[in-house]
Amino acid sequence: MTAEIFDRGYRRFEGERSGVPGAMRSLAWYTTKSMLGIGRRGRHKIFPVVVAVIAFLPTLIIFGVLALFGEGAEGLRPEYYEFLGPSETFGFLVFAHLLYATLVAPEALVRDRRDGMLSLYLSTPLTRPTYVMAKFASVAFTMAIVVIGPAMLLLAGYTIQGRGPDGFTGWVEVFAKILLGGLIIVFVYCGVSMGVSSLTDRRAFASIAVILTLLGLSIVANILVLEAGMNDRLLGLDPLGTPFEAATRLFGDRGIDARNLSTTYIMMVAGGWVSAGFGTLAVRYRRLGAI
Amino acid sequence: MTLPPPPPDPTTRVEVGPMVGDPIADNIVVEAFGVTKAFGDVVAVSDVSFRLGPGLTALLGPNGAGKSTLFRMLCGLTQPSKGNVRVFGKNARRDRNVRGRIGLAPQQDAMFDRLSALEFVTLAAATHGIVGPEAAARRSLDLVEISADGPKRVGAFSKGMRQRVKLAAALVNDPDLLILDEPLTGLDPVQRNRMIALFNELAAAGKCILVSSHVLDEVARLGSNIIVIAQGRLAASGDYHALRELMDDRPHRIRVRTDQPRRLGAAILERGVAEGVSVVEDRLVLDTRDVGLFGRQLAPLAVELGVELNELVPLDDDLESVFRYLVERR
Amino acid sequence: MAAVGNLRATTITYRLILRQLVTGGRVLALLALSAVLVLVSLAVGLSEDVEDPLEVGVALIDLMGFTLVVPIVALVFAAAALGDTREDGTLVYLWLRPMGRSPIALGAWLASVSVSVPLTLLPLAVSAVLLDAGSDLVAATILAAFVGVLTYAAVFLFLGVLVRNPVIWGVVYILLWEGLVAQFGAATARMAVRGYTRSILTSMTDVDLDLGTLSMTMGILVPAVIVVSALALTSWRLNEMEVA
Repeated sequence: MTAEIFDRGYRRFEGERSGVPGAMRSLAWYTTKSMLGIGRRGRHKIFPVVVAVIAFLPTLIIFGVLALFGEGAEGLRPEYYEFLGPSETFGFLVFAHLLYATLVAPEALVRDRRDGMLSLYLSTPLTRPTYVMAKFASVAFTMAIVVIGPAMLLLAGYTIQGRGPDGFTGWVEVFAKILLGGLIIVFVYCGVSMGVSSLTDRRAFASIAVILTLLGLSIVANILVLEAGMNDRLLGLDPLGTPFEAATRLFGDRGIDARNLSTTYIMMVAGGWVSAGFGTLAVRYRRLGAI
Repeated sequence: MTLPPPPPDPTTRVEVGPMVGDPIADNIVVEAFGVTKAFGDVVAVSDVSFRLGPGLTALLGPNGAGKSTLFRMLCGLTQPSKGNVRVFGKNARRDRNVRGRIGLAPQQDAMFDRLSALEFVTLAAATHGIVGPEAAARRSLDLVEISADGPKRVGAFSKGMRQRVKLAAALVNDPDLLILDEPLTGLDPVQRNRMIALFNELAAAGKCILVSSHVLDEVARLGSNIIVIAQGRLAASGDYHALRELMDDRPHRIRVRTDQPRRLGAAILERGVAEGVSVVEDRLVLDTRDVGLFGRQLAPLAVELGVELNELVPLDDDLESVFRYLVERR
Repeated sequence: MAAVGNLRATTITYRLILRQLVTGGRVLALLALSAVLVLVSLAVGLSEDVEDPLEVGVALIDLMGFTLVVPIVALVFAAAALGDTREDGTLVYLWLRPMGRSPIALGAWLASVSVSVPLTLLPLAVSAVLLDAGSDLVAATILAAFVGVLTYAAVFLFLGVLVRNPVIWGVVYILLWEGLVAQFGAATARMAVRGYTRSILTSMTDVDLDLGTLSMTMGILVPAVIVVSALALTSWRLNEMEVA
């Protein structure tokens, strides 16, 4: 008499394993979804929506004005870089960026340490460096939507309306400048917020530390230079203004306050902020014991 | 044959049914009337009603049954979605004086970690308006065998010590109603025995004590009066020996040790006294729906057959059987 | 047991919460913040390039002191005063007692103010002195800081019993509401605490600040009303909330 078992229930997975790249992709995607409130209740989407509205408002205003006034609004043509940061025209953009940096990086990093998820992640193919890189990818991607998205949307809109840069080469040049300038800003914000978030296990304190570092130092630098008349180079202490100035220089322009500072200096200081932030992050996570 | 169950403790009343009478005159401490609590779509407690007087009652239920939610409603920490709760005839949520007569040892581990044991219990005494709070705190810590003069802060205590400090804080105001949510968690066997003895002493002194647990062994030693909660609903209440008798859709299982198990087993089956019989070495295990009839027939049958009876043990006349019956079949 | 009188309940709560709030890490971090404020003020005070010390001083005190230091310090302590006890489940040890709710709210507020005032008023007063812009600035700074701390503490105390993650919501309030929305005009400025601290600064120094156009009386009276309302709302919330 023959007999056959058709289903033992448990099965070994014999297929291809995605390994470290797959683990990083999964972690980055999961973190991104969590931050944007995707797959979560409505109240988790409020904050990303509010930030997006503030960030994209200038672009939408420009489109609205052009739609209403057409040729009559030709004179109203802000520079692309003005949509990347705290420009003279759209100073309030900094609040969207600040809010995002203050709340996103702590949410992405601190929660895992506090809840014990970090040790679970490190029991997978992920190592500390790959874990941090996955988190960075997620934070940077979502921040890039807020920082670079509005300028890119503007470029797309102008292009569709026939008001875009001249020729294909011109278009690519503007696209590259927006992308590079935006990335400098994103990297500085990410570096500072992630570095500061690695210093404490309480999300609330991490948020406060980020806001004090970004906004507090910005205020201090501007007071020292603009009010106390100290050396211009102290503007390098401003983690909000420095990357924005770097983006401005890519477009061949200079901010009023930093006009006497060389582009090399600005770029080096921006690089310094990125190094300090990610350096802090690396040192902290190397020393961190997973519980 | 089962021994007759011990008489229910006359000082404890657990009544289920329509609420009547004057709670003070009837010495009722806690009353729950059709209490339901929902958190969004999740119904944690559903239509639970009971009355409790002085004495020790165990609230039994699996994890997630709704025990802690029920306790929180009794103390007024959360409002029922439907129904209401009265403690000493009043609503603890609104009445300050009632809150002063309750002692609660909550399940969660959170305490003011920066305080020492003495400071923590003194705080409890002071917030209850006790004159001479430190002396009261020392007495209370003595009851639970924690040193009042230890330098360590509560945050550095082991789980068992923290649990005892919580108990001391719950006892410091000499409450008339003591609500203890999983109070024996983290205690070693010796401490557990001492705490159970303490609860029984307090109950004998006229306090109303409600203790929750999902550990049947502990509950069985807290006395025989239980309230069983399963999936948020009141499954049963009363003396668990009496509850066993009420479980008439489940046969009683009894073990008999005898020198001729097969012969005795066959005869029992033939007489129709048991529904099923199994033999393992010198032991006969049988299932019967009528324990009384079985008891009356066993001895004469053994004499008739010339069989020795060495041992007679009911195998499921315990709390675990009652609990499984009430909880696992859902 | 006797119910606990209101004064006694306030005192007990005050002592307990004060002890819970004063942690080394918090105090050190906020002292560092205050040190930065003092150092910047010293730098500006010593600078020879400042044309109008009073105007610059008022702008600095407003920017650093009332945009950041005062609201952040008040947020850290006041949101934690009852918010932490609610989050970690220790609130039950104050709530399930024969005590009123108002004394608990008052005791917690007084505790958070007791810690916040030294960490803000002193460094701000020192900064005003170091700015070397006259005694009007010093007096205005002290009064505005005192009013600001008391008001923010009451608002954030209520926030602590109202929402989970009160510090996060407080940061959003400081950035979005006080930093952005309240700058739109006089009407919205009246709905932010910063509008009132600015009004005290401008009234006592005669230096114009954007949206600091309310009178001195309003600058003190309205915050007082806010404090009383916030404490009343905190008591109400303690009465109505579900306690873990």
